[in-house]
Amino acid sequence: MVSTFQLVLLGLAGILFAGGWGVALSRLWSNWPGVRGLTYSLVAAGAAVCLGLVVWHSYKREVWLPLGDNFDTLIWLAVLLSFLILYVQFVCPLPGLDWFVLPIVVLLVIAAGVFAKALPHQYIASAWKWGHLVTSYLSAVAFAVAFAVGAMYLLIHRRLRTKKAPADPNLGNLERLERLTRTSVSLGFSLLSVGMATGVVILVDKGRSSAFGRAWLTSPKIWLAVAVWLAYAVVLHAPINPSFRGRRAAILSVIGFVLMLGVIVAVQFMPEGP
Amino acid sequence: MHRLLLLGLDHDTAPLALRERLAFDAAGSRAMMDAFAAQFPEAELVPLSTCNRVELYTAQAQQGQPRSDDLIGFLASYHHVDIEHLKPHIYQRQDRAVVEHLFRVCSSLESMVLGETQILGQVRSAYELSRQRGSTRTILHPLFQRAMAVGKQVLTQTDIAEGRLSIASIAVDYARRIFERFDDKTVLSVGAGKMGVLVLKHLADLKPRTLVVCSRDLAKAQRVAGEFDGQAIGMDQLATSLVSADVVVCSTASVAPIITRTAFEPIVRKRRSRPIFLIDIALPRDIEPEIGQLNGVYLYNLDDLQLVVEGTRDSRRDAVRDSENLIAGAVEEYTQWHRAHELGPVIEELYQRYHRLALEEVKKAIEKVPHPTPIKRQRLEQLARRIVNKLLHNHVRELRNAQRLHGPPAQYLHTMEEQFDLGQEWRDERDKELK
Repeated sequence: MVSTFQLVLLGLAGILFAGGWGVALSRLWSNWPGVRGLTYSLVAAGAAVCLGLVVWHSYKREVWLPLGDNFDTLIWLAVLLSFLILYVQFVCPLPGLDWFVLPIVVLLVIAAGVFAKALPHQYIASAWKWGHLVTSYLSAVAFAVAFAVGAMYLLIHRRLRTKKAPADPNLGNLERLERLTRTSVSLGFSLLSVGMATGVVILVDKGRSSAFGRAWLTSPKIWLAVAVWLAYAVVLHAPINPSFRGRRAAILSVIGFVLMLGVIVAVQFMPEGP
Repeated sequence: MHRLLLLGLDHDTAPLALRERLAFDAAGSRAMMDAFAAQFPEAELVPLSTCNRVELYTAQAQQGQPRSDDLIGFLASYHHVDIEHLKPHIYQRQDRAVVEHLFRVCSSLESMVLGETQILGQVRSAYELSRQRGSTRTILHPLFQRAMAVGKQVLTQTDIAEGRLSIASIAVDYARRIFERFDDKTVLSVGAGKMGVLVLKHLADLKPRTLVVCSRDLAKAQRVAGEFDGQAIGMDQLATSLVSADVVVCSTASVAPIITRTAFEPIVRKRRSRPIFLIDIALPRDIEPEIGQLNGVYLYNLDDLQLVVEGTRDSRRDAVRDSENLIAGAVEEYTQWHRAHELGPVIEELYQRYHRLALEEVKKAIEKVPHPTPIKRQRLEQLARRIVNKLLHNHVRELRNAQRLHGPPAQYLHTMEEQFDLGQEWRDERDKELK
């Protein structure tokens, strides 16, 4: 069970991430040179608190394998996303990325708090299931990046098309954002494909293959996952059909992530399927 | 006495589509001056046509033609544009306001790009054309001379030209929002005119992989391409070049679009929807605006770029204020000179006429006086002269005050000419007598 103190620490992490987001947004109206340092200090502090929480939670459960329950999983997602932000901003800065990814991190922290008391996942029984969870959640991280980059692409595209002043340089340029979208979607799509394949293996393994055509057909978790997979498949289709590149790919990336969020929510309520 | 009139439309008052219908080149300007001279032989005219404005500066006798409505009618009929369609986009100025406007134009304060120096050259060309055609005489000639001097003064003595945001720099800024790198990109310039070369110069700083100059005049294209280590091609290769180009600058003098949507759609397919940045700085436009709706196409024309420039005006308030102060002084100085120039002969005529009348009366009186001596005659003449001076003193003083308070004294002068009978008849009579 998650203790109250753990929830307080989680709240602190959420505040640190939200603070980082607020400071990052201040770039829109202020040129204060300390913005960058303060943003990433807050994000790093939030990530450190989350990591500490994960360690404490694992110690209390006496289980060191990650993704054991909702609390653990959602915090891991937030940590991975915040690490990704820190990595991108130090290796190849794209300041506008913070504006879109940090709110997702905050949402994940809030979700971890909300779903912490919900029924935890059954302990991971097999390597297949662990593989299924890891690949699925990592694909969600990749799709979150694709969503953020896609949203930035749409913003710049809109500003360019409406002939307004050139978009904020913090948002980067269309060519880079398109490349980032493609890379994130390629990675996320591969991971999701593995996640879906391992999911099928788990179903077969549990002897539910007979029910595969009936109960699973009505599961929103499955259908949303299939929809996500299809949306990103279309995005990856762009090199073959160029009409899906650029703006359309960005829109699909945003839609795909919204569907992915649906899958995550569905998983919280039906971790074991219908 | 003369009246100054200005009729015009610019990027603030008229859409690009209308401006391009009314724009004219040097040949068009000459033809317009001929048509104007045929219709209003006594008036002076300087037509000015730039990317952003079409203006007619005229000077005519106070009661002469054209009046404002005549001028609008002339412009509309000359360009075959419906006068009602034209009127909402037109601005008009008179007398002192014309001087002020022209000084502002020459100083780039009315330009799309604050601090740009090209406008000075464009005004000079327009003035030179009119001068050669004999269309500028006693009024517009000194006005334009002074305007160009003021423009030069503003551009060199204030910070208006410092760090100016030119169309070229904005184009580069936009290109950077679309593309990440340029060492794998192709920049194509369609047309090898001054503006095109200017934008090309900025784009060349991005170090693109290939730079191509396309022109009807291959020799000119080769010359321009040589400046940038680029390739020169003829117009027949334009379609092929558009397939590989990433940034295209169009600045030809063509009167019809050279890149149409029908022709461009297959090019977009061949490009596999790869983004393309089209900059159309030609007037009339070289690229059909509908092309901007195609997938992966980012099309900007002069009006679009203006939106960006206007957004930067606030940051240059100090420079604008300094320029406006300088212009205000120059306008006052010029107006005073012009008043003196216009008033002097009328006042001179006024005194001459009444001194003559007085002397005639003195002459008649002396004939009736017995034994007139030269001394008596001289004293009577002096008396008559002083009386005339005293009688006219108030009128002349009022005239001078009136011009100071109300600007050009045209109305007052006209009234005085009427009241004191100083019209052409009197001048003819005086000249006859002098002969």
